[in-house]
Amino acid sequence: MGKETKPAALSPMLLAVLASRFDGVVREMSNTLLRTARSAVINSARDFSCGITTGNNEMFAAAEGLPVHTFGLHLQTQAMCALHDDIAEGDAFLHNDPYLGNTHAADQTTIVPVFWEGEHLFNVCAKAHQADIGNSLPTTYHAAARDVYEEGALIFPAVRVQRDYTDNDDIIRMCRRRIRVPDQWYGDYLAAMGSARTGERAIHDILKKYGATVVKQFIAEWFDYSEQRMRQGIRTLPDATFSREGFHDPLPPLMPEGIPVRVTIEVNTASAQIRIDLRDNIDCMDNGLNLSQACAINNAVAGVFNCLPADIPRNAGSFRCIDLQLREGSAIGIPTFPHSCSVATTNVSDRLINTIQSAFAQLGDGYGLAEGGIGMGPGISVVSGHDARHGGIPYVNQLILGSGGGPGTRECDGWVMYGIPVTAGVMYRDSVEIDELKYPILVRELALKQDICGAGRNRGAPALEIIYGPRDQPMTVVFAADGQQHPARGVLGGHDGNQGESYRIAADGTETRIPNIGQFEFEPGEWLRGVDCAGGGYGPPHERDPALVLEDVLEGYISVDHAREVYAVVFRGSRDEETLAIDVAATNEQRRTTTS
Amino acid sequence: MMASATRTGWRITVDTGGTFTDIVVADDRNRLTIGKALTTHDRIFKGMHAALDNVAAQLDMPPDELLRAADVLIYGTTRATNAIVTGQIAKTALLTTRGFPDVLVLREGGKLNPHDFSRPYPKPYIPRRHTFPITERINAEGGIVTALDEDGARATLSELKRRGFESIAVALLWSVANPAHELALGGLIEELLPDVPYTLSHQLNPILREYRRASSTAIDASIKPLMQDHLQQMEGDLRAAGFAGEILVSTTIGGCLDIDNVAARPINTVRSGPAMAPVAGRRYGERELAAETVIVVDTGGTTFDVSLVRDGAIVTTQETWIGERFTGHMLGVPAVDARSVGAGGGSIAWLDDARLLRVGPDSAGSAPGPACYGQGGTAATVTDAALLLGYIDPTYFLGGRMTLDPEAAQRAMQAIAEPLGLSIEAAAFSVLAVANETMINAIKEITVSEGVDPREAVVIAGGGAAGLNILQIARELGTRAVLFPGTASVLSASGMQFADIQIEQSLSAPTRSGNFDRTRVNAALDAIGNALREKAAPLLARGLTEGPVTYRVDAHYAAQVWEIDVTLPVSRFIAPADEGALADAFHANHTRIFSVADPASDIEFLNWTGRMSLLLPRHDVVEVTGSRANADSAVKHRDAWFDAERASATAVIRDTTLASLDTITGPAIIEQATTTIVVPPGLVGKVTEAGSFIVEIDHDID
Repeated sequence: MGKETKPAALSPMLLAVLASRFDGVVREMSNTLLRTARSAVINSARDFSCGITTGNNEMFAAAEGLPVHTFGLHLQTQAMCALHDDIAEGDAFLHNDPYLGNTHAADQTTIVPVFWEGEHLFNVCAKAHQADIGNSLPTTYHAAARDVYEEGALIFPAVRVQRDYTDNDDIIRMCRRRIRVPDQWYGDYLAAMGSARTGERAIHDILKKYGATVVKQFIAEWFDYSEQRMRQGIRTLPDATFSREGFHDPLPPLMPEGIPVRVTIEVNTASAQIRIDLRDNIDCMDNGLNLSQACAINNAVAGVFNCLPADIPRNAGSFRCIDLQLREGSAIGIPTFPHSCSVATTNVSDRLINTIQSAFAQLGDGYGLAEGGIGMGPGISVVSGHDARHGGIPYVNQLILGSGGGPGTRECDGWVMYGIPVTAGVMYRDSVEIDELKYPILVRELALKQDICGAGRNRGAPALEIIYGPRDQPMTVVFAADGQQHPARGVLGGHDGNQGESYRIAADGTETRIPNIGQFEFEPGEWLRGVDCAGGGYGPPHERDPALVLEDVLEGYISVDHAREVYAVVFRGSRDEETLAIDVAATNEQRRTTTS
Repeated sequence: MMASATRTGWRITVDTGGTFTDIVVADDRNRLTIGKALTTHDRIFKGMHAALDNVAAQLDMPPDELLRAADVLIYGTTRATNAIVTGQIAKTALLTTRGFPDVLVLREGGKLNPHDFSRPYPKPYIPRRHTFPITERINAEGGIVTALDEDGARATLSELKRRGFESIAVALLWSVANPAHELALGGLIEELLPDVPYTLSHQLNPILREYRRASSTAIDASIKPLMQDHLQQMEGDLRAAGFAGEILVSTTIGGCLDIDNVAARPINTVRSGPAMAPVAGRRYGERELAAETVIVVDTGGTTFDVSLVRDGAIVTTQETWIGERFTGHMLGVPAVDARSVGAGGGSIAWLDDARLLRVGPDSAGSAPGPACYGQGGTAATVTDAALLLGYIDPTYFLGGRMTLDPEAAQRAMQAIAEPLGLSIEAAAFSVLAVANETMINAIKEITVSEGVDPREAVVIAGGGAAGLNILQIARELGTRAVLFPGTASVLSASGMQFADIQIEQSLSAPTRSGNFDRTRVNAALDAIGNALREKAAPLLARGLTEGPVTYRVDAHYAAQVWEIDVTLPVSRFIAPADEGALADAFHANHTRIFSVADPASDIEFLNWTGRMSLLLPRHDVVEVTGSRANADSAVKHRDAWFDAERASATAVIRDTTLASLDTITGPAIIEQATTTIVVPPGLVGKVTEAGSFIVEIDHDID
């Protein structure tokens, strides 16, 4: 690209039409992957993303993808190009290498280079979180892994898995030997390949209709347009430089002091740039919680996008306005091999997004967001064991039953089915019935918990409480939960959400608190109880519209007592008699005395 | 009733929309006449009668005679859909398994834009405060983990009575594996609240996945009181007006049902209007184009509905959202897959802060409406663009019922044209092209998810606005032909003319191909057959003919979770070869939709469904009468733009002259009272014997 003379600018119509066509390609890829994948974590929970990079490896399109997945795809295709000088039509590559641009090893990415008239114009990428990636423990989040060797994942540094549209069976056989429940893995492999080939075909259709010259011109103009949108967005902010520190909970014995997350942000409206400095963070850790470079980029950028108009395209054009400073050898930067990044996509990543989006609230009321519910607790752990109902066949998968509450925002209350900051509501949740059909577990309770939302003018969303256990055979549960000590923080006078909790309920009903991290065995008759984290509040609670407080009480999200104590709203009448109403005089009096 | 000698075999079909009530009357020789009147929401029958008067006038017969001549009247209503959308529903209690009060709050997750924090989380269909826990639990195999606490349930029901609940939805976990607890609750409701209607989830919609089952149950229960009243009133009004034939109601699956069956399961009427368009599309495609795969589009003022006929069968889904995906409410029951996108004549064009041209999702609706309506709208809309391009005659909009103001359209379009440095016409052309993209994507989504290549399909276009741009869209998609039926402006009502009575019954009976539980499956199929016959009995007793029963099953590979449906190759499983045939059918279907199959993997079969058709007298596609009074045979010309650069002298043909013309060569505009068809240069269309207009598209030339 770039050798030819620059053609005339596209018409405004063609710019809009082609933008829609390329978005359509990504949606078609996503639909294919969603419907054909085998493992619940992909097809039930939607823990996958599809995207397109340009032939020279710039991030181009990623409609509806998970933010944690997509922003770094260009690093992966860059690695593919750097490692292979014979890339050809019909090739496909497996890439899950966190040291070469992937997020973490479980996010296996299938990359197909797209050629047109002999020229390598695009790459299509289908990234999906595998149910298993061959780790030494039956989890795709190995928090205790000292290094990549203890982690044990099968790692593919942009390995060619197809040539001339034909599998390299050696690689398929290797995977089938080393990945638990190989048929499930193979089904997911087929689904990702089908998705990438669908994308290739759809891009060929566009090129056939419009030709390479117009499409290349479109790429350039689309990046310029996106940059322009980003500049406009940044110019809605005031000039400022600000810092904030967040904390991941202690993880005994790995990180008994917890993990600090430090960001310094500079907004420069004259140059329409946002500079994010992550260099003042700790060195790589001897555990699986290090961020990959892709995760450091993804989540820093996601935190910024969360604070700007929502329809700015997210691609190399808008990224031009973000100057991200990372340090080699930092746990929140560029990891050095062989430090493990097994848990890179969630825990510290969640804290990074939260810290950045809440830092923007320092610009004043009307900016930034509260922090969102963090977790990865019992409701979203990896369960494994044997299923006596089907002749003792093994099972392993991540449950997506729990959910943290979304952050209070300047416009509204938090989003309920938020999940965690890195998924931000995009993921689906499992059906309890489908999970109970597929795995020998029984869920006893799954309900939003009362009085835990971070209070505020706009409050955080409530989080889920879950109780579940094995049926006839023991069950192994692995999780590494954050948020049991450091909750999601409120901003601008908004309150923090609750702290998460995890318990073992013995057969006799007695409850014991269990650590927020580890591998736990549950016998039939025992239960696991977890409470996820609600979102933080935005703005002072006593400024909340009393009518909304009444609605929260009626719906049971908060109690009458909580409403009075935290929101200074007083009621008369009875909820059960359907006569509950705001006592206006008492509320005014209460609010006057609380605020003064 | 059906056999009564006084009947003369006429059939009346009625589609009551938000604005218009459409009527199609077929006489004893299957000639169709179309009537329209404004919908009267206070008493639907008034508008229906006005539309009948309209038809009767065209046929030159008294309306009462028309009613007496008909032996079947099929009624389509948006009453249920509107009630759900506006929340004007009964005070409904939801009874759930203790520990799971949030099934309707949580939905199934998902959000369109991860970075958009400005939209509040949607409220559940039934408020949490109207959701009551029942102590009980059943497991995946139907075993009872916790017995039903009957005393607790009685106490809860007494509270519902005291608090004046008008309807009750019961949706317990795993009731599909063992309905004992739901049935017991049903018994208690009849004992303690004998006058309160209720719905049990395993009876209404016996599928796995607690959210969608609970959602359909809640929706059904919440509209029972109002739909039962409404249907009763309609029946009374029709009888009082002298109609003595069979009254049927159109349904979500593109069939129709008798009033008793619909009143018992009113959810079956939700979105029945859009469900009827492909019934018409299938028949027109088959008769006029010999096409088995048909894309059916129906465009109104604010929405564009698209549905699909694949291999002669109307594509259905269990994932219909009322409202927006993720934030609306899921219907959960099998329904014709008719997808609505907000793209109509009122969609507003705008420039974002980096001057990219966007169209929608905001709409000017009908008030203030497009700028050219002259009702105070200042934003340029798709209708304004079509007017400026010469596609619409300002003096003949809606058949002359409204005069448009081109200068107002021009002023509005100036706001788009000037910043982009375009002429008014180039801006208008761009607006239409961008609007087309929304529709192209909607068509691609439904075809791709069914493994259909639009290039192998034909398009049947209906609705008032489809003709403006569907030929351009069809060209982009590569479809081989577009057909505008003579009934294009009343596509849903015309679909009812071709509808049969369809009764469905499902049962959950999970089993795997590697260890196929033949006894269990055959027992389920027997039970389904019995239930179908029970529902059909009153209709058969009234003289209707029992048609074929077909069975299908929702299935997936053992580790997958999303099902696809497969038609059973046998009606009962006797030998291993029968199971083999079913597995083969599944693999073939999976390959067709997703391009891959995995024959080595086990298949999990979940929900089994039987569908019985009771055939109504055959109606063929025949010429439409009555719409061609007042012949005006002069062909006129005016300028219209088919690219951004220059106008073309374009023939304008009033529909009244259409039947006399064999072919129409673009550029041409066909103006009908209720539809306008724009034929771009290079395309040639012809009028068929049945009064349809067909344009074949040769893509090699494109």
